Amino acid sequence: MPGLYIHIPYCKRKCAYCDFVSFANRTDHIPYTAALITEMRLYSPLVNSKRFDTVFIGGGTPSLLPVGLVSRILAEARACFDIAENAEITMECNPESVTEEKLIEYRTAGVDRISLGMQSADDAVLDAIGRLHDTKTFVAAFALAKSAGFTNINVDIMHGLPLENESAYLESVRLAASLGAKHISSYSLILEENTPLYAAVSSGSITLPDDDATADMQDAGIALLESLGYRRYEISNFAKEGFECRHNLNYWNNGEYLGVGAAAHSALRINGKWVRFSNKTSVDEYLAFLGENKLPLEETKEIEREDEMFECIMMGLRKTDGVSRAEFEARFGIDPVEQFAAAVSAAALDGTMEVTEERMKLTRRGLDFQNEVLLDFM
Amino acid sequence: MSYKRELIRNFCIIAHIDHGKSTLADRLMERTETVSSRDMADQLLDSMDIERERGITIKSTAVRMFYKHTDGNTYMLNLIDTPGHVDFTYEVSRALAACDGAVLIVDATQGIEAQTLANVYLAVDNGLEILPVINKIDLPSADPDNAVREIEDIIGLPAEDAPRVSAKTGLNVEQVLERIVSDFPPPKGDEKAPLRALIFDSFYDNYKGALSYVRIMDGSVRQGDRIRFMHTGSEFDVTEVGVFSPSLKPVSELTAGEVGYISASIKSVAETKVGDTITLAENPAKEPLHGYKQASPMVFCGIYPADGAEYENLRDALEKLILNDASISYEPETSQALGYGFRCGFLGLLHMEIAQERLEREFDLDLVTTAPSVIYRVILTDGSTVMIDNPANLPSPTEIDRMEEPMCLSHIMTPPEYVGTIMELCQEKRGIFQDMVYLEQSRVKLTYQIPLNEIIFDFFDSLKSRSRGYASFDYEISDYVASDLVKLDFLLNGDMCDALSTIVHRDKAYQKGRAVAEKLQEVIPRQQFEIPIQAAIGGKIIARETVRALRKDVLAKCYGGDITRKKKLLEKQKEGKKRMRQIGSVELPSEAFMSVLRIN
Repeated sequence: MPGLYIHIPYCKRKCAYCDFVSFANRTDHIPYTAALITEMRLYSPLVNSKRFDTVFIGGGTPSLLPVGLVSRILAEARACFDIAENAEITMECNPESVTEEKLIEYRTAGVDRISLGMQSADDAVLDAIGRLHDTKTFVAAFALAKSAGFTNINVDIMHGLPLENESAYLESVRLAASLGAKHISSYSLILEENTPLYAAVSSGSITLPDDDATADMQDAGIALLESLGYRRYEISNFAKEGFECRHNLNYWNNGEYLGVGAAAHSALRINGKWVRFSNKTSVDEYLAFLGENKLPLEETKEIEREDEMFECIMMGLRKTDGVSRAEFEARFGIDPVEQFAAAVSAAALDGTMEVTEERMKLTRRGLDFQNEVLLDFM
Repeated sequence: MSYKRELIRNFCIIAHIDHGKSTLADRLMERTETVSSRDMADQLLDSMDIERERGITIKSTAVRMFYKHTDGNTYMLNLIDTPGHVDFTYEVSRALAACDGAVLIVDATQGIEAQTLANVYLAVDNGLEILPVINKIDLPSADPDNAVREIEDIIGLPAEDAPRVSAKTGLNVEQVLERIVSDFPPPKGDEKAPLRALIFDSFYDNYKGALSYVRIMDGSVRQGDRIRFMHTGSEFDVTEVGVFSPSLKPVSELTAGEVGYISASIKSVAETKVGDTITLAENPAKEPLHGYKQASPMVFCGIYPADGAEYENLRDALEKLILNDASISYEPETSQALGYGFRCGFLGLLHMEIAQERLEREFDLDLVTTAPSVIYRVILTDGSTVMIDNPANLPSPTEIDRMEEPMCLSHIMTPPEYVGTIMELCQEKRGIFQDMVYLEQSRVKLTYQIPLNEIIFDFFDSLKSRSRGYASFDYEISDYVASDLVKLDFLLNGDMCDALSTIVHRDKAYQKGRAVAEKLQEVIPRQQFEIPIQAAIGGKIIARETVRALRKDVLAKCYGGDITRKKKLLEKQKEGKKRMRQIGSVELPSEAFMSVLRIN
């Protein structure tokens, strides 16, 4: 079932590694909320036949929004879209910007899942990547969320960060687990161009752990998380039984989703066609379009059937369960093992893929080399 | 109506690179109003982009000028512009043979260089009158008196009254024109004798076909004549004769003494060989002109398309390139590592680089070239001899009795302070000392026998850097000598990569093996498994490096449903993969082959 993504492009400060669309120098939260509401109203008739199973308010730092705005956004979402009774509604929060008042507001507004950006439990590492919180603040925020009634809490952790070693990373995992996180996202740092961290690494003023050290961290992290009862259900995502993120699973199943807000991406089946579109990344342009009641579209692209198939493989093979052959066949009328016969047999022979009656999925090694495997499917 | 032979002067200009040859030529054309100054592009004669960029002449061209002398007569001056590089010595000699005089430009700030000297000797051998001209006298560092002294001491030409000019500003250029008329003899030749036209270059014109650039030695030729190329034996009907003004300009007839072109709808310049003699089919000359030689390639390398799918395009490009440069040889070859490509032969390193550059630039190709090789003479145990231009084709050591390599007689001219370091360099390059002469106090001429396979790598660059650019260099192929040569192979994960094999002297093998293995270790991307890189002679491993295994891919996060980034990353990887070569289980980027080329 489709998901709804709401983008909040504000941060108090940009982290050194971040190249997502977010701005640290803007405070026009109220006009932006109004624009979001206008955008949802414009989409309302287009998607009135679809029932939304998940909502994800992401950013940026959504928890930066002043009290009251998240309730307004969610109320309007419910007014515009058919959002399922038991929908998973996630709110992304940074430890330093959540308050008891905000958390109670989220809870009241129907949010049932909190995603907290911890990144590391080592204060020196946090400082090196420009985070505004320290470990103490994170622990306090987690406690606040719990006391506000949230049980489904995700913690974001990264590895391969400057100054980080394996034991510091594992300590971060242990802390998240000991606090009672039901879900842990553990991503490896990707050094993106046009970020301060990239410049610092290029100039040599910051050194990152090398590839081997980072790979060691990841392997040790997987082992630790599994021993702590978290199942690796996607390359970088781990959850206690029943707490997998439904919103993200929908992406990985190449399902439909509507994204609203600056730079948001969408994928919808419209009149039988698979269409991807994205919004203006500039907040000013975004506001200007909606000021005139126009959709703030940047790009719209109809995806050919073959490309849609590849997307299903590209996204589906991120999951440790891989791609359901029956679901793929139901969608395209052909078994993926047949459609991608050459690539599948090459990968199986190489030991990166495993094919069963029901599914095709990557092996542990295949998950390490997902890109490499995918090239043969292109 | 033919021009009176007494009023014709055919000459060329000899100069070292950067001494101002093209600038002086431009100035002469301007003074004789051959081109209006409005139309002057700098260095008019060097028409190829590469020639202009590198400041060198690759192909010969010619221009006809008319000069009104103070004696009242109007003279026809044919300037033949010759290449100035060792790779093209034969072409230079044919262009010189078309002339009766040579203007020798000496840079007043630099003096005489080895290259200049070599070409002066060539000119003297061809019986040319030499007119020394001291150039760049406008520069503050100019020392014209010293230049005069050098000319007199080194070449033995009186130069006291040599024109002292600045080609750049035009100062005293008039004197050069006057002296060309007074010092150079008019061309010899007999208009009544059967036609003999010397081909000094050829050029492929898209509309006219292959044009022969000729100096008419005897007789005359006009449109409609049936001509015969005396060495190749082929015959054609002349569709047009003309002169260089400097663009092609048809005339009714070319007669003895004149310089011009002959067009006869010839499909390729391979038919119009430099040095060949054109005569008339009906009334042929008894003997061709002296000096014809089949230009033969000295340096060979494999040329492959970076993307295997471009093979046909490379073939087409080579065919077109050959239309205009018959001295390049090529034949199909396959390499396990690089797939389908061509083994190409060139007159020398510069010639090779220029051809590669033209293929990439004019035909928009992305190429992989293998390390240059010379032709080795291999005497087998059964007594037979094979010539090997591709290390991959070397017979197994058990079949080889001995090997021989081509040597070069190399002349190096340098200020004395660099003699030590240059001798060291020559030693490193397995040079055998022949001679050292103080040409004057500030100039030494060193002569060495150096193996050509040492010269084709970075000898010239090393020489320049060790002498801060002051030393100059010239060489001629002398002879084959026995040498302790071995084939150095490289194995990636146990599989031999034929395109990296090279023939080296045994004493150099260890050093080179290590250097290449180290370089490969840098350029081979990490793969899912560890890759041992080994350098081997026969079965013996002499160096080893390892590319560590890659543990994990970098996975783009598909945040907020933005999958475009991930797709782009994959597309880029896929594109990169096309440029990869598979050696056994190892993927090698095309760039890897290039990066080891320069290692010696």
